[in-house]
Amino acid sequence: MEGFWHHCLARLEKELPAQQFTTWIRPLQVDPERSTEDELCLTAPNRFVLQWIKDRFLSRIETLAGEERGKPIRVSIALAGVEPEPAAPAAPFVRRAASSEKSAAPRQQAATADSRSNLIAEFTFDNFVPGKANALARAAAMQVAENPGTSYNPLFVYGGVGLGKTHLIHAVGNHVMSEQPGAKVRYLHAAQYISDVVRAYQQKSFDAFKRYYHSLDLLLIDDIQFFTGKDRTQEEFFYAFNALIEARKQIIITCDTYPRDIAGIDERLKTRFSWGLTVAIEPPEQEMRVAIILKKAEALNASIPEEVAFFIAKHIRSNVRELEGALKNVLAFARFSSKEMSVEVAREALKDLLSVHNRQISIENIQKTVAEYYKIKVADLHSKKRTRAIARPRQMAMALAKELTEMSLPEIGEAFGNRDHTTVLHACRTIATLRTKDPELNRDFHVLEQTLKG
Amino acid sequence: MKQLLLELAPRPEPTLDNYVAGRNGAALAALRALADAPEAGAVVYLYGETGAGKSHLVHAVAEAWRRRGRPPAHFLAVDDAHRLDEAAQGALFDAFNEARAAGGAILAAGDSRPRELRVREDLRTRLASGLAFQLHPLSDEEKATALRQRAGELGMRLPDEVIAYLLTHLRRDMPTLIAVLEAIDRYSLTAKRPVTLPLIREALQALNGGAR
Repeated sequence: MEGFWHHCLARLEKELPAQQFTTWIRPLQVDPERSTEDELCLTAPNRFVLQWIKDRFLSRIETLAGEERGKPIRVSIALAGVEPEPAAPAAPFVRRAASSEKSAAPRQQAATADSRSNLIAEFTFDNFVPGKANALARAAAMQVAENPGTSYNPLFVYGGVGLGKTHLIHAVGNHVMSEQPGAKVRYLHAAQYISDVVRAYQQKSFDAFKRYYHSLDLLLIDDIQFFTGKDRTQEEFFYAFNALIEARKQIIITCDTYPRDIAGIDERLKTRFSWGLTVAIEPPEQEMRVAIILKKAEALNASIPEEVAFFIAKHIRSNVRELEGALKNVLAFARFSSKEMSVEVAREALKDLLSVHNRQISIENIQKTVAEYYKIKVADLHSKKRTRAIARPRQMAMALAKELTEMSLPEIGEAFGNRDHTTVLHACRTIATLRTKDPELNRDFHVLEQTLKG
Repeated sequence: MKQLLLELAPRPEPTLDNYVAGRNGAALAALRALADAPEAGAVVYLYGETGAGKSHLVHAVAEAWRRRGRPPAHFLAVDDAHRLDEAAQGALFDAFNEARAAGGAILAAGDSRPRELRVREDLRTRLASGLAFQLHPLSDEEKATALRQRAGELGMRLPDEVIAYLLTHLRRDMPTLIAVLEAIDRYSLTAKRPVTLPLIREALQALNGGAR
């Protein structure tokens, strides 16, 4: 049976991302006592993995096992050391009661502890939008929030900027505070930890520093990559880390990369970062971006039609912070212009932010664009030629230069073969008059203006 | 001999009221809200070409906050965000997080859109998390209005043909126009002559052969 499971493992490893395989599949063990010819019994190291496998992977494992065996086979999964549960519909996220250890030592301090917790109250699980991109991280964080210190320690969350790492770890902190108001929780950015170390160094107060950090129940530390090259900080953190983990106090760390890939961090720290569970937050996919926008709008007491949310989600793909910024711009624009919210209004509001080019428009650029448009040479614009086919485009280019740059009229004249500023003025007036009379010329002007603005 | 000038009136401070908005009405409205009653954690970012009025607005809001006694540690006004060096970006990043946590507000200005601003990515996305406004340059008519307004603040009589002259002979960005206007004002006071076209030609020549 063991060998058979190894074949299945090899196939799963091929089809799953390494991160998922390591986190969920590798910890599974075959239970040789219960397994039979027709049934493969697996054990999971904890309820979290158990639930995850049941929800996502069980049917796939069953299919694979069937293919390996050449006939259908039942696959069941149970907690290691527990009787297998009957095949029941998947239970919702499992809540475990507080462990006896915690109830044996009730914390008596009043809620004053949170004055130093640095937690932002709005960052909760309730308003954290779930999706494929953050499912793992969210589930792990909820598990840790329910059982701080005993499930995954440390929890290491990594991903790009603006994807919700900070929100997530605040949510853990807020949840723990609500369950155990006396808990000593502290959120801080790695940079703050570094300055704390510097201060302790200057004031020779390392004892107080150590006493404080080693006494925490939950330490949430953001952007650990800031520790790069900071040896003294890393050393202090190493001690704090060991003390907290040993006392079964929870540590949650965020970082912009996978622990192995952080540069300038002591090996022994990197190793420790992967002791618990390492989970990634990926950039949100479109449906999730829509959900985020709708949720943020709700938080801002605004309601927006779903197609507007789709419009924003389609155009802003990078990260949650920029989505939020775009949404706020759309709401502000609609309010300012007293317009009913619509895709058109959103497009108008985000016009500047979304336009492809945002370069400063140069006179060379104007001349080149105009020459191409009228199929003449740039040199013709500089020349003394006064035929209509050359003179009109030249006037057009001058008028555009006045409109789109802040150059002085003498400078513009100079750029067109050393002409006088009165020539420029005359050109601008001529074009202004013609635009009211000649629709085709007016259209040319608009097309050119739009081309130049990008 | 040149007459020495006593600075009778201090240079008018940039305020939101003396900003000629032109096409930037939405930005101005948002900044008024930011100056008077900022929402906790509000972020506004302004961008646009040199001379579009970024510094004017950043100073105006900072001054409004100062007058209302808002703590500068939590109400950050940052001009030229694209020029911050590494250390300054780090300091701003920390200050930003602290200001937000304390329910303060942040106003920043830079030379490019939030998504192209060349600062640390974590700082950039934070600056991009709020309202962003491109400041558009004023039209010639609006520039004339702005010049008239500044001349009024200086107690200076400014004939229309002089405005037309300035707009057809000088670089037309507001800092240049305002600087030249103020120089002409001083020149006319020193020379004890009214502001006329001949005086302007003379003044511009005196100003290093024309300020164009």
